[in-house]
This record gives sequence, C-alpha cells and structure tokens, in this order.
Amino acid sequence: MLQIKNLKAKIDNKEILKGLNLEIKPGEVHAIMGPNGSGKSTLSNVLSGKKGYTVSGDVTYLDENLLDLEIEERAHKGIFLAFQYPLEIPGVNTNIFLKTSLNAIKKAKGEKELDAIEFLKLVKQKASELKFDEKILSRQLNVGFSGGEKKKNEILQMSILNPKLSILDETDSGLDIDALKIVSEGVNALRSKESSFLIITHYQRLLEYIKPDFVHVLINGQIVKSGGSELALELESKGYESLS
Amino acid sequence: MIDQLKIDFDKIIGSLELSIESIESRKKYFNQFAKNGFPNKRIEDWKFSDLNQIISSNIENLRFHNDSELSKIDETIFIDKFEHNKIVFLNGIISNIDFSQEDETKISLTEDLNQNENFKEVNPLVSLNNALTASYIRLTVKEDYSLNKPLIIYNITTRDLKSTALNLKTDIVLEKNSSLKVINLFDDNSENNFINIVQNFDIAKDAILKNYKIDHKKNSNIKYFYNNINLEKNSISENFIFSTGSKFIKNEINCNLNDEYSSAFINGILNLTNSQHHEIKTNINHLAENTKSYQLIKSVLNDNSKGIYQGKIYVDSQAQKTNGYQLSKALLLNENTEFDGKPELEIYADDVKCSHGATSGNLDEDAIFYLMSRGLSHQQSKELLINGFLLDAVEKITDIEIKNLIKDMIGITE
Repeated sequence: MLQIKNLKAKIDNKEILKGLNLEIKPGEVHAIMGPNGSGKSTLSNVLSGKKGYTVSGDVTYLDENLLDLEIEERAHKGIFLAFQYPLEIPGVNTNIFLKTSLNAIKKAKGEKELDAIEFLKLVKQKASELKFDEKILSRQLNVGFSGGEKKKNEILQMSILNPKLSILDETDSGLDIDALKIVSEGVNALRSKESSFLIITHYQRLLEYIKPDFVHVLINGQIVKSGGSELALELESKGYESLS
Repeated sequence: MIDQLKIDFDKIIGSLELSIESIESRKKYFNQFAKNGFPNKRIEDWKFSDLNQIISSNIENLRFHNDSELSKIDETIFIDKFEHNKIVFLNGIISNIDFSQEDETKISLTEDLNQNENFKEVNPLVSLNNALTASYIRLTVKEDYSLNKPLIIYNITTRDLKSTALNLKTDIVLEKNSSLKVINLFDDNSENNFINIVQNFDIAKDAILKNYKIDHKKNSNIKYFYNNINLEKNSISENFIFSTGSKFIKNEINCNLNDEYSSAFINGILNLTNSQHHEIKTNINHLAENTKSYQLIKSVLNDNSKGIYQGKIYVDSQAQKTNGYQLSKALLLNENTEFDGKPELEIYADDVKCSHGATSGNLDEDAIFYLMSRGLSHQQSKELLINGFLLDAVEKITDIEIKNLIKDMIGITE
C-alpha cells in the first residue's frame, strides 16, 4: 500500500528526515516510536502533504507517486491524518464541516453524495459508537472542545471518512484512560484487511489497546530499529538512549 | 461643479412646494456646503476616504437635479422570503408606500418637505442633503405599537440614471414602548451616481429599533449613508451593516445615549473585492449613567480593496457606569489590500468600563491544511474559513428572518 524509500525532508534548511525507509501492506498496523524531535510529526505532515517542506526520495501509495499529489487528492485517495493538535475553526459548524468533507471525498471518488438525512443518520451512528455527545457536533469545529473531545472528533472523522491509510499523530497524548479506551476501540473497529494504520506515539500505552503488527524506532530522522509489538515493551523499559 | 450646483439648487427649490422658512433654511445649508464642497482628506473624519477625489475620479459632470422620467418598479427585486411593509425610493423619488400589514391607526406617515426637521450642521454632506432633499418621509410608530412585519426601505436605481446626485431623507420616530425592524436595502442598476442618505431615528423610552442596512448588489455608485439615532431611557437600538455592493460607501452612525439604561449595538461586515472602498464610521455618545454600547466589525478584503473602520466612544462626565466595547477584525487576503482602523475613546467619567481591540491578518495556513487534509479543495477551505469569520458578526443579528436573509446573501449554508 505504502512504500517509502530514502525519504528526506528539510524545513528552513534543517534536515529532519534523513533517509527514511518503510513499507506498509494492506491490513497492517505499524507503530512509530521515537523521542521528541526525532521527526515523527514531520513524517505525518509530509505524508499528508503539508506545505513548507523540501522533500526528496520516493513515496509510492497505491502505485502512485504520493509526493505529486495535492493535500486534498491524498485525502480523496484514502489518506487520513489524525492531528496531534486538531485546529479550532471558529464559525464553522462541526456537522457542516463533516458533511462537506465526506461529500468532497465521495464526489472525487465518483460516488453519490449524501443528503442531509443520510448524513445525519451516519453521523449519529458513528458518534454513538464512539460515545461522543451529539450535541458537540452542532458546535463550532473544535472551538472550546476539551483535549479529549478534540481527539475523539478526529477519530469520529476517521470513522466517517473510512480511509485506507490512517496516520495517527500522537493521538494518545492528553487522553485520560477512559478516552484512550474509546479512541482505541474506534481505531480497532476500523481495522480490516484493506485498511492500514501508521501510529505515531511517544509511549507504549496506546499500543496496549491497539496492537501493532510492527514497531519502528525513529531517531534523528531515520528508522534505527524495527520489530514486532514486543519492541514497544522493550523501549518502555530501556528507553531510547540504548538505541541511539 | 459649484456653478452646476447653483443651477440645480434653484431648479430643485423651484420644483418643490416649500415654505419661505424652509427655502431660507435650505439656502443657508446650501451656502455651508458650497463654501468647501465635498469633504477631502484634510478633514480628519475623511482622511481615509477623500470623497472629493473619489467623486471627481468616478463621476463626470455630476448633476444635482434628477429630472429623468419616473420609471416603473421591477417588482421581482422585492424580497420574497418574508412578508414586509415597503417604502420604495425609485431613483430617489418615493414611488410606493405599503403598510397593509399594519394597524394604520398606530402609525403615521408624512411626506411634507416643510416638516422635515433639519439637523444642525453636522458635516458638509448632511448640509448638502438638507439643501437639496427632494424626497422625504417621516414614519411615526405610536405608543405601545410593535409593527407586525419588518419594514423594508428599498433604494432602487434604474439603468437610465447616470452622473446624478440623489439626496434622500427619512425620519423615524418610535414613541414610548413601540418597536420597529427596518431594513434599508439598496438595489442598484445604475452606474456612477452619488447617493446621499440621511436618516434620523428618535427612540422614546422603552422602545426598540432594529436597523439593518444592506448594500449587496455590485455597482459603481458612490454613497454616503448617515444615521443619527437618539435613544431615551431604557431604549435599544440594534444596527447591522452589510457592506459589499457599492464602489464606495461610507456608513456613518451617530448614536446619542441620552438617558439611563439605553443601549446601542452596531455590528457589521465589509466584504470587498476589486477596487471597492468602504468605510464604517461610528460615534457613540454615552451621555447618561448606565448606558451600554457594543460594536463588532468584521472585514474581508480581496484584490486591491480598501476597508476602514473609525469607531469613537465618547463618555460624558455624567455617564458613570458606562459599558462601551468595540472590536474590529480584518482578513487581508491579498497584499494589495488596505485596512485602516481608528479606534477612539474619549472618556470624562471615572467609573466606566470601555475597551477596544483590532486585529488584521491573513487566513491561517494551518487551518487550511487541516481542512484540505479532509478532502476540501483550497477554494472550499478558504470559503469555509471566511464564512466562519463573518458568521461571528452575522450571529449578532437578533431577528432570525433577517439573519437568514443576510446569510443567504453571503452564501453561508447550514
């Protein structure tokens, strides 16, 4: 599904990713762990197309050169980034945003757009699965949401948009244990043979709930070690120091 | 210009049935205007909008007398979203008055030009209006009466109107405990005219005015729209300015909070493209204790447009416990745009709460990235953010029908 070869990314002439290699196959869950400043968020930004980076290397996604695609084209083709810090968008109603987003993607795929009633039915169902108070959806997007609500809102968007490749950028940060469980359940419900996940996290905690197939350690812009889920536990006890 | 003005002034005076006093008074105002002509940027209130220059570069051979044939009203331009009362100015002439929705014993109307109470000299344009007004209407809403339906004052111009100055005047009197919702709606089909409107509101104790001004249709006219609002005890005036149509418009609101517990709200939007140049100028005069004012102006500037907000809050030494607030936010979407904000607080009382703020900047790139990462195009993301930005001010409109009308005009969907 996704092949990353020798990916380098610079911002303001500072090299952050220094030749990163990674392959994700359909249905797999990969976790990337690493200390602060190792390039985790840069990787998620570069994969979702954020401007401002000078990028080299090859990234192939579903047989296309991902780096050539615009931000919204990546979303249309099934890439979803759950933000570490979801933005507050004043004056934009959450429901309207969700509907606009879903229909933009459906339109790009040549599928029939949902009308208001079909959409509300879908959003109601997804919100209740995530134990997400529907009232929040009639509020302005992320404005005044608690940290947990913002993260749940990301997962709600993910479950409505039903992406092929979901990138979760430190979704666990700022979540209490109950919210963490709900968010994890939301992610696990989306796991399938076709959909893959890239989970970026500092801590092993999230991985207790979402069991990864592979764990990679990112240090100083490169993956220095890869292994199975047991690698996360090892890191938790020994720290990153032992690997750098 | 002054020679043409003199000829047209005599024509207007000759064509109207005016008392001797009225003619004398008009001559006085005429001389006041003629002395300095249109205001230019050397006058502090006009430093961001040099009207003299704007008129001379946009209108050739301005005439002050409209002798064109009265056209027929195109009724398709009437708002059909809700029932309403109507006063229609067609090329500056009152051509339709319809209050069939109301108890006619509870309102009174007069078009007698001799009855229009001229303001004391306020500025050259009000003087010009006082001198040349050819159409006038005064509406009085009687004690304890609330109109069943809003009133829309249509200001319609037709294609054949060119290079003409129109001077219109409206007085609205709200007696005790009465209320009125009024929309001033421009529908311009003409080009390169100067439209000068003076409106006075006297709002008695416990009365409520909701005053909405909509300049929506793109046009090349130059406009000045002056409101004077006098508020008595415990009365409210809610004002909203939707400013997006004309080449140039300056909306000026002077609000006198004359007695305790009166309040004034002035919210508005400037949404400009091309070389449009719009200004909102407010003077809020807190003249009694426990009075309140609130202002929120949101501006979106595209291309090489220019937006201005000059907001003044004056607090008299009598006006303790005043609460005055103003905020201006502008989005500058292009480096060729200009926004000028001039907040002024002049406070002579010591127990007051007054604040002001102003921000200007571009759209948040991170917010655009967030929306695009959800599949929205750059254009869609921009529109969503801009509409969200404007919505903040639109939400201040307390009348649902009118709020929805303005949302529709902006293109905010829900």
